[in-house]
Amino acid sequence: MRSLALFALIAALAPRVAHAVPADCSTLPNPIYMEVGDTQLNLMKQLGRALRNNTAKPVTLVFVTNGSCTNIGDFYNQTALSVTWQYIPSSTEDPNWTSSSATLSCVPPGGTHTLDIANSALFIASCANEPAVPDFAQFTNGPIQAYVLAVPKASSAVAITFEQAYFVFGFGPTILASMSGSIAPWLIENELQVRTNTKSTQLTWAANISVDPTKMHGIANSGSPAVVTGLQNSQNPSAAIGILGAEVYDATRATLTELAFRAHGQYFAYWADSNATSRDKKNVRDGHYTVWSPTVWMNKIDPSSHQPVTPDTQYVIDMIAGKEVTPAANFDANVIVANVGLVPDCAMRVTRSFDGGPLSLYKPSESCTCKFESIVDTTSCESCSSGTCATGTCRSGYCEEF
Amino acid sequence: MRSLSIFTALLLAFATGCSDDAAVKHDAGVHDAPADAAPGGPDASCFTDPHTNNEIINACTTAQKVPVPGRPPLQLPDGGLPAAP
Repeated sequence: MRSLALFALIAALAPRVAHAVPADCSTLPNPIYMEVGDTQLNLMKQLGRALRNNTAKPVTLVFVTNGSCTNIGDFYNQTALSVTWQYIPSSTEDPNWTSSSATLSCVPPGGTHTLDIANSALFIASCANEPAVPDFAQFTNGPIQAYVLAVPKASSAVAITFEQAYFVFGFGPTILASMSGSIAPWLIENELQVRTNTKSTQLTWAANISVDPTKMHGIANSGSPAVVTGLQNSQNPSAAIGILGAEVYDATRATLTELAFRAHGQYFAYWADSNATSRDKKNVRDGHYTVWSPTVWMNKIDPSSHQPVTPDTQYVIDMIAGKEVTPAANFDANVIVANVGLVPDCAMRVTRSFDGGPLSLYKPSESCTCKFESIVDTTSCESCSSGTCATGTCRSGYCEEF
Repeated sequence: MRSLSIFTALLLAFATGCSDDAAVKHDAGVHDAPADAAPGGPDASCFTDPHTNNEIINACTTAQKVPVPGRPPLQLPDGGLPAAP
């Protein structure tokens, strides 16, 4: 009886023990080793789950998050990374796993592995001191990543201008006070939550407010979660302010407030979305909200043939970039991209060529604005069945502009 | 002859009113939002046919607009900013 009870206890614990011990990464289906910005964690989780369940071509995203500039260097140098690699279980492995669940970990044979794919959540030129671009590197611009300034819910601040942000983060409250130039309510140096200068959030904000990213005032946090915690636990919430990826902010709207931002030369301030409560990223898409960067995805190609060294890397990157893939997936990657707070290229109407640079008009080859709006918020677009639009083109059930 | 002049003047006035330029409301060269502009209300100055960066960021929109009055005390009289330390 005692042996039976012991057996039952071991059997009950077995699945948890299996998850606690890192798997051998090489035994997972089609592993692709990736290093991505921490702003892309939700994308990795949702896309990772979908790709594990992708019947036609199951792929395992084996990933680690790090600063964009570090990712670029690790990819260029093909550094053998000794890190805790993460992956997502398939539905067969864990039917109860959700994107709010923890990732699983695996160890590659030999303990280290180089990168198949790297991600930068800003223009690569914004990273200082990168090595020369290797001849095996191929670059693909992916969806757009917006960045916001957030304050605790207890703060009464609603908006901030380019000029105010320039003084707050470029001079800092202490120096401003000594110059009789304080910017209320941001009067306490340690209530500014920023990042280190290899992170896309820091570099993109610095570029958009004309501040040297190495001299941004405030507490330099290594990760977005620390910025969120710093704001949520602030002792002086009215004076607290921090920089975040928009998708991180979207997940913390219950406790934080996004400030509307007025860019240099702009008449009004705007949120990334059309108002404080929507999630449509309308102002990112049409240029009224200026603090954003493209996500850039790198994979290895043969320098002679220009073909991907690992074809599955192109499959994954094309999916993220909104391109058609073969074999067709059993899910819509654009839905995942939109749901994690990114804006697909086909929904953008403006572009730029460097971080903080001027905007110009942009027309993608095929519009997905209506579809995007229907995923993240509501759309006023007319719905349609194939070929029945009075104007525009019927695509994915909506009359798109073109 | 007088009728012709009036007709010509009216034609010119009408043509000017329908030009592309008239469709674009140019700003008054100020960066602060108009004091009477209410969030979400009609634009006091916006661009209906934006092309440049300045026109794009100030294009007419249905999005909610947030006026931000005042200017930082250390901002220079010409609108410029002093170099950061």
